[in-house]
Amino acid sequence: MDELYLDNIDEFVNDHNKIVTYKSLSLALGVHVNTAKQMLYHYLEHKRKESSPQLHATYLVTGKFVGNGQTCHKVSIVREDQLEDFKSKMNLIVSVHVYSVQKALLKDSGPLYSVDYDAVKDNLKNCSKYSAIRCAGAVPMSPLELQQTLKAQIHPQPEPESSGTNGGTNTTSKSNTKPQKGIMGMFSNKSAVKNTSNEVKPEQKEDTTVVDAAKSKPAAKANPMMNFFGSQTAKKSVKPVKEETDQTSSSSEPPQRQSPQPCETQDSAAAQHQKDSRSKTKRVEDADSEEEKMEKKKRRRIKRPDPDSSDEEVIPDSPQPKESQPREISPKKEKTETVQQSNGHSGMKVRKRRRVLKSQTYLDGDGCMVTEKGFVSESYSESEDDFQAPKPAQREPFKAKPNPSNKEDDKKSQKKAPANSNKGAKQASIVGFFQKK
Amino acid sequence: MFILWYFFLHKLTGGMATLTRQDLNFGQVVADVLCEFLEVAVHLILYVREVYPSGIFQKRKKYNIPVQMSCHPDLNQYIQDTLLCIKPLIEKNDAEKVVVVIVDKDHRPVERFVFEICQPPLLSISSDSLLSHVEQLLRAFILKISVCDAVLTTNPPGCSFSVLVHTRDAATRNMEKVQVMKDFPWIVADEQEVHMKEPRLVPLKSMTSDIIKMQLYVEERAQKT
Repeated sequence: MDELYLDNIDEFVNDHNKIVTYKSLSLALGVHVNTAKQMLYHYLEHKRKESSPQLHATYLVTGKFVGNGQTCHKVSIVREDQLEDFKSKMNLIVSVHVYSVQKALLKDSGPLYSVDYDAVKDNLKNCSKYSAIRCAGAVPMSPLELQQTLKAQIHPQPEPESSGTNGGTNTTSKSNTKPQKGIMGMFSNKSAVKNTSNEVKPEQKEDTTVVDAAKSKPAAKANPMMNFFGSQTAKKSVKPVKEETDQTSSSSEPPQRQSPQPCETQDSAAAQHQKDSRSKTKRVEDADSEEEKMEKKKRRRIKRPDPDSSDEEVIPDSPQPKESQPREISPKKEKTETVQQSNGHSGMKVRKRRRVLKSQTYLDGDGCMVTEKGFVSESYSESEDDFQAPKPAQREPFKAKPNPSNKEDDKKSQKKAPANSNKGAKQASIVGFFQKK
Repeated sequence: MFILWYFFLHKLTGGMATLTRQDLNFGQVVADVLCEFLEVAVHLILYVREVYPSGIFQKRKKYNIPVQMSCHPDLNQYIQDTLLCIKPLIEKNDAEKVVVVIVDKDHRPVERFVFEICQPPLLSISSDSLLSHVEQLLRAFILKISVCDAVLTTNPPGCSFSVLVHTRDAATRNMEKVQVMKDFPWIVADEQEVHMKEPRLVPLKSMTSDIIKMQLYVEERAQKT
C-alpha cells in the first residue's frame, strides 16, 4: 500500500484539525474499515517516531469483563492514557484497535459520535460498503414493501413471533442482546471509558440468533439498576419497530426522559391491540398470546417471576421498578382470567366484577377537588376496593360512550379497566388517601 | 423551533419563495434558531475551555449529537437572559457580532470567541432541505468548538466570562430606552474587553446558507499568564 494515505491523514489531523475516526477515514478514502484501522495505527507510529506535535488517540477495546459476579462482553472506547489501565481490568481481550486520531485531547466522547454521524449521513446509501459486518439478508426494502410495513405497524396484526419474519427476529434479538451490551458499556469505568452503543448496534442488527429471554432475565435481574436501563432499552427497541425512528443515544439522560412517553404510547397501543385481538379466532389468539408472553417477559425483568398468569393481556407497567406493583398486578391477572374464561371455573378464586354507579372525588393537577360520576367496574372483595375503584373511574367517563351492553364489549371494558387501573395503581396511595375522607 | 420553521415552510407551495426582512415571522424563526445555537455554543465553550468545572455539565442532545450543557441554574438563567436580550437585535439584523469573552482574574480578556453574524436582506427559501442543511452546518460549528483545544493555549485558572454584542449603528440606544428585561441591564463594554492588544487570530469555522452567514474565530492573547 502506498504511503499517500499518511499524507491524507496528516492533512486531516494537522491542517484541518479534524478528528479522524476509522469509520470516517474508510469512507473518505474508500477502503475497508480494517485497512483504515491499520492506516491510523501506522500513522500514529510514524508520527511518534518523528516527535512532531502531540497527537492523541482513542482505542476501541472489546473483551470479556467480570463485574458484580457476572461475565459480560464489553465494548468500550478508551483514551490512550487510560488504555493500559483498562486492559488490565478486562479478563479476556478480544480486540484492541485505534478508534480515532486527533490533535486535541478530548474531554468526552461526544465529538466522536458527531464525526461519524456526519460521515455516515453523507454516505447513507453505502455506509456499510466497507464494513466488516455482513448479512446477506439485510437489503433495503423496495418502496412497496416499505409501504406495507408501515401499514402493518399502524394497524398491528397479531403475527406469530416465530423465526419466519426476519424483522421480528431482529427485534427480539436486538432487545435481548442490547441490554447485555448496551448497559455494560454504560456501566463501564466511569473515569475513562466511553460508551459505544453505536458500535454495538450494527453488530447486533446482523445477529439473527434469538437469544433466550430466560437467559437475559437472570443476568438482568442481578442488578436492579441495570434492569432499569435494560427495560428502557428494550422498550426503546420495540418503539423503533413501531414508529420507524432510529434513535441511538449513548447518553443516559435522553432515554430516561423519553422512555416514559414511549412506554405510554406503547402501552395504549398494546391495550388496543389486545382489545382487537379478542374478537378474533382462537388460533389467532394463541399466536397473540405468544407475543404477549414475549412482551411480558421483557417487562417481567422488573417484576417477580409469575409463571402462572399467562395467555392474558399485557398489563402496562411504568418503567420505575416498584415492589408493590408486581403483587398488585398478579392477583388482578388472575381475576380477569376468571372473568374472561367460562363461568364454570369454580376452582379459581371467585372474584367477580360488577358495574356500579359511583361518584369519585379526587385531587387534580391544580389542587382542585374533582368529583366524577361514573360506572365503576368493582370487585366484590373488600380488600382491594379502595384503590381499585378510583382508577377505573378516571377512565370510565371516556369509556361510557362506546360501551353497549354487549357481552363482548363488557369484556373489553373490563379488560380495559385492569389495563388502565394499573396506570392508576401508581397513584393509588394518593387517591386512596383522599378516598378515606 | 425547527418544528415551527418546518410548518412554516409547509405552508408555502413548494418551489422558490422570497421573503423580506419585514416578514417578521421568518425573522423570528431565524433569531430563534440562532439563539438556540448560541446557547449551546456558549455552554460548550465554557465546558471546553474549562471556565467552570466539568462536574456541572451534563450531556444533552442537540442537532442529533451529544453536547455538554451546564446544570447550574444561575448560570443557565444568566445565559438565557443574555440571549433573550440579544434576540430582538438579531431579529432586526442589528447584531453584527456576538462575542464570548473569557477574562482572567484581573479582568483582562484572554480569549474572545467572536461569532460574526450576517443576514442577507432578501431571504429566499427553496425547499425543506434548508432545514437539515442549516442543522448540518451548525453541527459542524459545534464539532469545531469541541476540538478548539488543539489550536488554543491553556487558560490560566480562575477565569470567568462575559458576553458582548456589537451592534450596527445605534441600535443600542433603543435598547437603553426599552429595557427588554427587567433587572438585567446592559452596559457599554469596557474598552479593554472590546479590544485586545495584538491578538492572535485563530479562525475556527464559517458557514454560508440562504438565511444566515456566520463566522467563528478566536482572538487569543499571546501571553496568557
